[in-house]
Amino acid sequence: MHYLKLLQNLLKLNIQMSLAYRADTVVNILLNLMWLGWELLGLSIIFNNTETLGGWGPGELIALLGVFRLVNTLMAALIWPNTEKFNQSIRDGSMDYTLLQPVNSMFLTTFSRITVWRIWDLVLAIILIVVGINMSGDITTPLSTLTFILLAVSGAIVIYSLWIVLIALTFWFTKFDNNVTILQALLDAGRYPVTVYPVWLRIIVTFIIPIAVATTIPLQALRGDLEISRVLIFIGVGIVSFWIASNVWKAGLKRYSGASS
Amino acid sequence: MSTESIFVEQLSKTYKVPEREGGFGAAVRSFFKRKYKDVNAVQKVSFRIEPGEIVGFLGPNGAGKTTTLKMLSGLLHPTGGKANVLGFTPWELKPDYLRSMTLVMGQRNRLSWDIPAADSFLLNQAIYRLPDNEYKKTYKELDELLELEPLMKKPVRNLSLGERMKCEIAAGLLHRPKVLFLDEPTIGLDITGQARIREFLREYNRRTGATILLTSHYMADVTALCERIIIIHHGNLKYDGGINDLSRRIAPFKLIGIRLSEADSHDLSGYGSEVQNEEDAEKRYIRVRADEVTRVTSRLLADLPIHDITIADPPIEDVIERAFNE
Amino acid sequence: MLKIFKRLWQVNWAEQWQYRANLLMYLLYWLVSPIIYLAVWTSIAASKGDVNGLTANDFVTYYMTLLIVDQITSNITLHIFAYKVQDGSLSSELIRPIHPMLTNTLVNNIAFKALSIMGLIPIWIVLFFLFQPNFSSVTWQGIALAIPAMMLGFIIAFLISASVTSVAFWTTRVYSISEFYFALFLLFSGQFVPLTLMPPIIQSIARYLPFQFSLYYPIQLILGKLSPGQIIEGYIVALIWLPISYFLFNWVWREGVKRYSAVGA
Repeated sequence: MHYLKLLQNLLKLNIQMSLAYRADTVVNILLNLMWLGWELLGLSIIFNNTETLGGWGPGELIALLGVFRLVNTLMAALIWPNTEKFNQSIRDGSMDYTLLQPVNSMFLTTFSRITVWRIWDLVLAIILIVVGINMSGDITTPLSTLTFILLAVSGAIVIYSLWIVLIALTFWFTKFDNNVTILQALLDAGRYPVTVYPVWLRIIVTFIIPIAVATTIPLQALRGDLEISRVLIFIGVGIVSFWIASNVWKAGLKRYSGASS
Repeated sequence: MSTESIFVEQLSKTYKVPEREGGFGAAVRSFFKRKYKDVNAVQKVSFRIEPGEIVGFLGPNGAGKTTTLKMLSGLLHPTGGKANVLGFTPWELKPDYLRSMTLVMGQRNRLSWDIPAADSFLLNQAIYRLPDNEYKKTYKELDELLELEPLMKKPVRNLSLGERMKCEIAAGLLHRPKVLFLDEPTIGLDITGQARIREFLREYNRRTGATILLTSHYMADVTALCERIIIIHHGNLKYDGGINDLSRRIAPFKLIGIRLSEADSHDLSGYGSEVQNEEDAEKRYIRVRADEVTRVTSRLLADLPIHDITIADPPIEDVIERAFNE
Repeated sequence: MLKIFKRLWQVNWAEQWQYRANLLMYLLYWLVSPIIYLAVWTSIAASKGDVNGLTANDFVTYYMTLLIVDQITSNITLHIFAYKVQDGSLSSELIRPIHPMLTNTLVNNIAFKALSIMGLIPIWIVLFFLFQPNFSSVTWQGIALAIPAMMLGFIIAFLISASVTSVAFWTTRVYSISEFYFALFLLFSGQFVPLTLMPPIIQSIARYLPFQFSLYYPIQLILGKLSPGQIIEGYIVALIWLPISYFLFNWVWREGVKRYSAVGA
């Protein structure tokens, strides 16, 4: 309850911030639309030359683009701005203040900055998913929709957890301010179904930097071609990775305070 | 439970610092086998501070002041010894402890640059779970002392350094902490800015009875606020006691000031070492050991055409500086 | 003048070398999108035999060549220059008797390039074994023709980026504005796909724009895919853009510095 209230406060603060920079907000929304147009153009060029890509048709790829943009929103609304804040606070030492507040420090590190206008992006993403699925003619059931949501959330948690681990590494290697570049780099791979990638790249984006877990895989569940056992495994992966991340974070804090050496 | 606010016993902190020589070969070797060197930042420091005391914590750069403050606020685990603040062991970081103390570092920002301080204050209210009426009361009080209101609506980046520091300190005090750790709270401020913060701290201490441990490079801060000082140097406790006793204990010297009735060309080196004093160009000062003051004074009076003579304690700044250098 | 460049080179090289870990991460970041496009298009070509006459090998060689050409012709002017205007550190460079953009920033770019090409080589070799491209269409003449084209491509792109970056003199939103530039670049340079697969209207515009000299034109020269007529047309268009981009930069720069000193940053 207290954390919800805090979140509400942080959200209010961030809304004020984006209002203070409203011209930037407008420009950013325009840019966002421009890139959406660009992405759709890219898809149309691809489907001018082929009927299917990795076994998926145009409708499914539009839906995938929607799911990809969900992940992208998570990144752009929370992960990038808070990474910047985090790295800055390690550099200038204001991390000390974060740690001395009577609130879970991982929570504060995650939600200090929220790029509020990105919520608009969520709406766009959902429209893309709905339109794409309708175009594809795939049949969805309430159950497959539910598994899709569960897997998308769990995939997002996997990526979030990986992020926490990556920035927590800064507690060990202070100069590590490239901590999230690798995540950023592979994000683009989520735009297309992993089935088109060569095996080595597929392995990387499924297991090492699991972008696919949050994009291709939930969509497979929505289409109904994912066995129930694998659904359960992926949900389990989400829970386990969150557990690992919060422990790495705690170990990082110990390291920061010199309790571990 | 003990009655003192802060209780520190044999507190030590040793850092392991990788030792590296220059050159490519050494870099490769250190990649495989790191050599570490122990740096004793704080060595077996003990002291206790009673509730309501304002204590100056002094030492040259790198003496271990900030390390000690970080251990007492809970940011750092010590490598040895005990500390107890308000009945808590700081580095357990219990929320109840965090709500009853504050750490203000003059060189670090807690407030967000892009938004007005008022908004950051409201966030702090939520973080420290302060009920509305209590928050308003504290805010009113802080506003009265620091004249915050005109600063609240501007983004922090548009405030001057002094204004920002006022807001930073206020942000650290909204939850009415019982213990304040202040690391260089007046750094970079001009004389009036320093004086204002100083006045505020004295008044805050008087009103709330909070315990304050502060470090500062400005001796004026210390002499104005603290009756007691603790000096550390190279991680060791050098002095703990009244500020007025310091000169007697550490530097038992007096300053003899003389004004000569004729042209100033006499050589004073035979009486003691002469000290430059730019504020008072008419006088010349000699530093003399306390037990020799009488003898030197009578010699001066006998030898020279003295117009005026004064005997005084040396300024506290000089004494502390001498304490560091020993 | 040469001595100045030599000194600048020493300083910038040493500086970039300090940041080599960052640079490696940047390389990794930058590599991903060509590899993804490569995977997407080869998978399409493999399933259908060819795409508009392009075989899977054509796509592999195109993107593998793109990796090298892009390193040679691209620049990071925006990242090394825009913040200098914003935090005022440009002032100390402006009072030096050399042009901040055409000397220091230029050399900084080249040092960055030299180091990133060194980092790229081993990665490129690994990719070569992973994708097994057949480079039989590459000829020495093609490479010889491509070298001046890449130089032109670099200079034109540098001058245009420098002009775009100079927008920082007017607004702090330079990063947003430059995104529009990147979008145009993506559309017309051949980064996403060989331009021959683009809609005809984009192809016919791209022919007269400077973006193709950064990627598409030199790549196709190396791969020996252009007819003599296309080669000549390309060089003529590039040689027209060279003075245009130079005058554009000069004008934006002069106005920008005027404004910078008026505001007194």
